[in-house]
Amino acid sequence: MTVPHASDLDDAFLAIVRDWSAGGVGCDEERFDGLALATFAYQRAHNAPYARYAETLGYDRDRMPTSWRDVPAVPSSAFKDATLATFDILGAELEFHTSGTTAESAGKHFIERAALYDAALLAGFDRFMLPDRPKLRYLNLVPNPRRHPHSSLGYMMGHVSVLRGDGKATYALEDGVVDVAVFSRALASACADGQAVCIAGTAFAFVALLEALEAEGTTFAAPSGSRIMETGGFKGRVRAIERDELYTRLEASLGITRRDIVAEYGMTELVSQFYDSPESRDADVRVKVAPPWLRTLVVDERGNALPDGETGYLRHVDLGNRSSVLAVETEDRGYRAPGGGIVLLGRAIDAPARGCSLDAEDLRALAASALHG
Amino acid sequence: MRSPPRPFTANGVPGVRRVASAVADAARRWSDADFPPRVRATRAIRERTGYTEPVVDYALDALFGALDADAILATIASELGSLEALETFVARPGRPDVTYRGVEHVTIVSSDTTIGVALPALAFALCAGAHTIVKDRNDRLIASFAETLAQEQPELGERIEAIAWDGADDATSRSHLALADTVVAFGGSDALRELRAHLKADALFVPFGHRTSLGYVERESLVDGEMAREIARGIARDALLYDGDGCLSLHAAFVERGGGVDPHAFARIARDAFDEAAFEFPAGYETDAGLEAYRRSASFRAAQGRGAAFAGSMAPHLVAYDAPQDEPPPLVRRTLALYPGDGPDDALAFVRRHALPLEAIAFGTDVARADLAAFARASGASRLARLGTLQRPPLAGEHGGYGRILPFVRAIYRA
Repeated sequence: MTVPHASDLDDAFLAIVRDWSAGGVGCDEERFDGLALATFAYQRAHNAPYARYAETLGYDRDRMPTSWRDVPAVPSSAFKDATLATFDILGAELEFHTSGTTAESAGKHFIERAALYDAALLAGFDRFMLPDRPKLRYLNLVPNPRRHPHSSLGYMMGHVSVLRGDGKATYALEDGVVDVAVFSRALASACADGQAVCIAGTAFAFVALLEALEAEGTTFAAPSGSRIMETGGFKGRVRAIERDELYTRLEASLGITRRDIVAEYGMTELVSQFYDSPESRDADVRVKVAPPWLRTLVVDERGNALPDGETGYLRHVDLGNRSSVLAVETEDRGYRAPGGGIVLLGRAIDAPARGCSLDAEDLRALAASALHG
Repeated sequence: MRSPPRPFTANGVPGVRRVASAVADAARRWSDADFPPRVRATRAIRERTGYTEPVVDYALDALFGALDADAILATIASELGSLEALETFVARPGRPDVTYRGVEHVTIVSSDTTIGVALPALAFALCAGAHTIVKDRNDRLIASFAETLAQEQPELGERIEAIAWDGADDATSRSHLALADTVVAFGGSDALRELRAHLKADALFVPFGHRTSLGYVERESLVDGEMAREIARGIARDALLYDGDGCLSLHAAFVERGGGVDPHAFARIARDAFDEAAFEFPAGYETDAGLEAYRRSASFRAAQGRGAAFAGSMAPHLVAYDAPQDEPPPLVRRTLALYPGDGPDDALAFVRRHALPLEAIAFGTDVARADLAAFARASGASRLARLGTLQRPPLAGEHGGYGRILPFVRAIYRA
């Protein structure tokens, strides 16, 4: 295969996004396959660390994958161990860091063209969070992107707040701590204005918010049309509660119904995001769906694809990752839902260790307590 | 001439020698792999843990082989000054006369432990004369051993209650905790906090939290290939024996530069040793997600020219060489990270950086080096051992840094 040009790949990707945003299918299997294989060929030629790894998996100039399912995936940790970019990172328009205990241990995702990220982000957010196209007020329990430019979640909500918001966005999270007073003032103001809100934050931030509101005895009745975007698990945090309990308490404290609480699933290492499918939001088991340029294989421990319905590990193939690595292997567990989409389960690495063994969660808790004195 | 020990103390508790003797006799019966209760327990432990038969056999041999009357009595005599101190006042140089009274009630929560780790605590609690409740696992190992003890000495059986444990939130469990003068508990931080909250105010709590162990291969133990192979065999045993479970399993080891065998070459030797040890102690499963995830990361780094990933050819295990030291060790089953280092300062920095709670450090030799001794003291570990012996802690050692019988007695001094 001849190595395609970046601009051709980007044009093809943006065309898929436009098509889907306009109500089309975006891309079928053949179109996805074609762009995935072309993108791999491009990345093999321009991303040396990825090419070296692919070679150890048996893919080189003489042997290329024949389907998107065969595209070699890097472990998500690879973003910590190497610079996975197809371009000179001095020219990166976006640079996102994973959460690490120190700057040097964080993974870095360099993105050459913000336009690809923005297009994928807005198309997915519009479809799954704003199908009714409202102009919401954004109350963000995420890092402020002006102060934390390397937070992908901060960038995402900053971008959405500017382009889809009413111009009065609030950030109520600083250094990982929820500013409950700032949040409460902003939500009270929105209630007084009758302005529907979108409250976005991590599950952990919501738990902190709820604990404070419940301790004060404060409740809100968010204006009709309000919604919540909850993202992320409790990774690296000491306290965890069940998601069902979280949503019950959010309903009670904020007056936003469970149906209007949408869990987003994204990774710093990916350009595109998953959301709870609208059809599953009333169900016991929520199904995550993604735009058609992001596909997921469920694989076993050794990376072999599993049949539909079997639980395994999620390997994502994101055509938006043109300037880094197309396929990323995660430690997230899940299975393919019968009607399409995936059901997300816990992380394998966080399974509790047996006996008196130390496990990863123990270590995070110990490190956290050491940090906080 | 000293009078022989009384068979019973004034309050009807069997004397310490009789208890130690009964424990040792029961343990001797359990040391026989064909002893029917052991056969049944082996089956139940295998079902609970998924370990293969050689692993369970090794564990039970080590456990019961250590419960020796002389070792029990020597430990008590060492900690209390003499055995007689359990029955009468004894003189101490420079301090008031003392006697030790066993506490009334001991509760041992063993539900989150590997195989039989509650047994030594039970043996010493009985030696102190305490009525002991043991929260057992569903393999009923403690309950079965208690039945054997009762056969050896019926009055001892009356002092043990081995019961199933459903957590601290049922009324019976709470009452067992609230009654106890001493509670010995094995578990994670959250479980220990919860248990502690249920104790009476003046109860003594002896927590055994989740911990790990570290290997340190000093250059003196890498003089030549033969020595390196011996050390590697020890590391492999310590890492693979219980599938990497438990606080005495190795997940990380530092290898000093400057020996006759360099760290990278040692990692290759360790790979072979792991393959050999996997035959002796096979895994009870075909693959492990944590191991595979770590292997992929290590393989990616190796493809970039950093380190190496040596995976088992026939069995699930992994030796990862030169993993980043700013990342925590791989706390996943049958996986060991070998870190090259210039000295114990590197290892200590690693321990501190990741706030690793260490149970033990295992060295290659007994070499006397001041820097190694300083490292060991600063590391927080409560035991130093030779590589290859980690999984056989001596009964007379202070597990977790605590005395063996001291938690179960209270001193009475005369002054």
